Amino acid sequence: METSYETIIIGGGVVGSSIAYHLSERYKEGLLVIDKKFPMSGTSGSTQAWVWVHSKTPAWYAEFSMYSAELYPYLAKKIGDVEYKRTGGLSPFFREQEREKAKRLAEEYGKIGIQIDVLSREEVLAKEPFFNPRVAGATFSLLDGNVNPFRLIDMYMRTAKKNGVHYSTYNRVTDIRRRNDMFIVVSEKGTYASKRLILAAGPWSRELGKLIGINIPINQVRGQILVTEPLKPFLRYTISGLRQANNGEVLIGYSMEQAGFDRSTTLDVIQETANLAIHYVPALKKAKIVRAFSGIRAMPEDGLPILGKVPGIDNLYVAATHSGVTLSPLIGTLLAELLLDGETSLPIERYSLSRFA
Amino acid sequence: MAMETDVLIIGAGPAGLAAAFELASRGLEVTLVDESAAAGGQLVQQTQLIRSLPAPFQPMRGFALAEALTKRLAALPVRYLLGHRMIGLYRDGSVGVADEANVFPLKARKIVVATGAAENAVPFPKWTLPGIITIGAAQTLINRDFVRPGKHAVIVGSSDFAVDVALQLADVGVNIKAVVERQSALLARDAEKVAQLKQSGIPTYVNAAVKEARGKGEVAEIDIQLSERVITEHVDLVCLDGGRSPVLEACYQLGCSFGYQQELGGWLPQYNKRLQTDREDVFLAGNAAGISTQGVVLATGMIAGVSVCEALRVIGGEEAERLRSALWKELEVLETTLFPEVWQARLRHMDNFGNPLLKEQFIS
Repeated sequence: METSYETIIIGGGVVGSSIAYHLSERYKEGLLVIDKKFPMSGTSGSTQAWVWVHSKTPAWYAEFSMYSAELYPYLAKKIGDVEYKRTGGLSPFFREQEREKAKRLAEEYGKIGIQIDVLSREEVLAKEPFFNPRVAGATFSLLDGNVNPFRLIDMYMRTAKKNGVHYSTYNRVTDIRRRNDMFIVVSEKGTYASKRLILAAGPWSRELGKLIGINIPINQVRGQILVTEPLKPFLRYTISGLRQANNGEVLIGYSMEQAGFDRSTTLDVIQETANLAIHYVPALKKAKIVRAFSGIRAMPEDGLPILGKVPGIDNLYVAATHSGVTLSPLIGTLLAELLLDGETSLPIERYSLSRFA
Repeated sequence: MAMETDVLIIGAGPAGLAAAFELASRGLEVTLVDESAAAGGQLVQQTQLIRSLPAPFQPMRGFALAEALTKRLAALPVRYLLGHRMIGLYRDGSVGVADEANVFPLKARKIVVATGAAENAVPFPKWTLPGIITIGAAQTLINRDFVRPGKHAVIVGSSDFAVDVALQLADVGVNIKAVVERQSALLARDAEKVAQLKQSGIPTYVNAAVKEARGKGEVAEIDIQLSERVITEHVDLVCLDGGRSPVLEACYQLGCSFGYQQELGGWLPQYNKRLQTDREDVFLAGNAAGISTQGVVLATGMIAGVSVCEALRVIGGEEAERLRSALWKELEVLETTLFPEVWQARLRHMDNFGNPLLKEQFIS
């Protein structure tokens, strides 16, 4: 006899925990989150945690990201301080011929009401005095910022638990079956039954989907990140590739590798990353690197979020995406609406799994 | 352009130097990497007499042993990279070695990890106040740097090492006010040393623990909880002996699997009778293979050296087996004399070679 819940969420990372929290605000039925390890031990805990809108393409996806970024200030009121800072985001370019491309991007975004400035070299250096004076310019958006991922996920999780959500951690799901309209979730620590099931497994989505016979086309991308010693505050903005955290450490990462689920770090990439950081901010040459880590990120085959109902299987939902930190407040909100009201306040058909069929 | 070597030894302490001799004396080219400015590891500042050492070593003081171990490498194909650290791995398996300015790849046919042990602290309220240091740090300050770290001290812990250093501190004029031990008896096994401590008039408290430390900007007094009462000592130095644990980062990076044995210092890499890890090209030596005595540290270095010679075909299997079993017999005697439970843990650990508690740590 298995334990029964109204809804089970598989995956307790930034996406799964956000959905759990947003559901728990209005939902008093039994809700269980199952995680194969522990929230933050996977993708959500190995990120620079930008809340990043600009330079996402196509423009409607940038718009989607913007709505999520807009929710961040309210999140703090509901779950507590997650150290969200809307610093503004800088994406530099070093060749003058890239200015045209930047202008086109700004124009494109202007049409949907996102203001992007194309900065001159002087404007970049006025904003970030420590930037390489050889910079040609940058695109700049006031919407971008960053958040403390550990606080974010911890607060989602705490608030969800306070609202009655159960978490089962270090518990890998090994099988999913259907029985008379119920989902039977078999895990290392026990078997659970639920009326509804949400798959929020990030980079493990493809493997998880196979258990129930669906294809969630998500690949893994490795990013290696360097952490400097704490430095006095000197970087004001979130720069594509690096940011300074509240404690003064600078997080640096540009790399994207195909390495499956291998989370090791390699000096080849670490040295490339360090060189690129010095190219952006020459003063970093003097900083000591205290550690390096790598994260496996989810990358859908077409780069865009996969959200909503799974076609052909009633009461099965999926939420898997790159940029989970940026999108988590919005995805949590929309999935809660979808489950409780049957419709969402923003259209999400574009993000349906059916586009891959 | 990668530097190349037959065998890379990470750590030029007693185990690394002992392994280097086995390898280089049979013609293999060895590179020793160590973050210190001098070879010899912790031996360099050890003035106590080390009695039980494997053949051919006679009893001698630590710093003299360090000299003996380095001297016999003088004419052999050994390259030292002192003031260097291993900081990671390149994609092709080369080891990344850094000095304070540069990082470069080093390609080795085999690797011996001889990274030694790190001390554990003993936490209590305000244990981070300046003046509260580990027992090993106190020894380094007096014997290597010739600096007296304080005038009035309490020693927390009573291992052989802690007792050694307590006596050395007393010798240089530090007033040792107490040796505090949580267990019901002193932990030191060397009867002669315990007798010396008793004769010195230093008070020893068993079933006792530090309750808290106090001080403005540095330690000024500590409260010691005895079974019936609390006593307060005015001190400017507290030395903590929380035991030692193997230094694991190199093996972790290299992807070795791990087990756990309390008596050997906690988490440690898996290894077999060859002191070979589950990564075939990576061998272990010294305290990195489990915390033990100096004699055992040398013996493991010799076993690892012989095994790598065998793996690189400079000695045959039969000869390697003969040398190894003689060394293991000697190691068993050295270890069981004072620490039979450590030897038992080592046997258990090797039996568990196929059942690690942690493996594939980078696969998520």
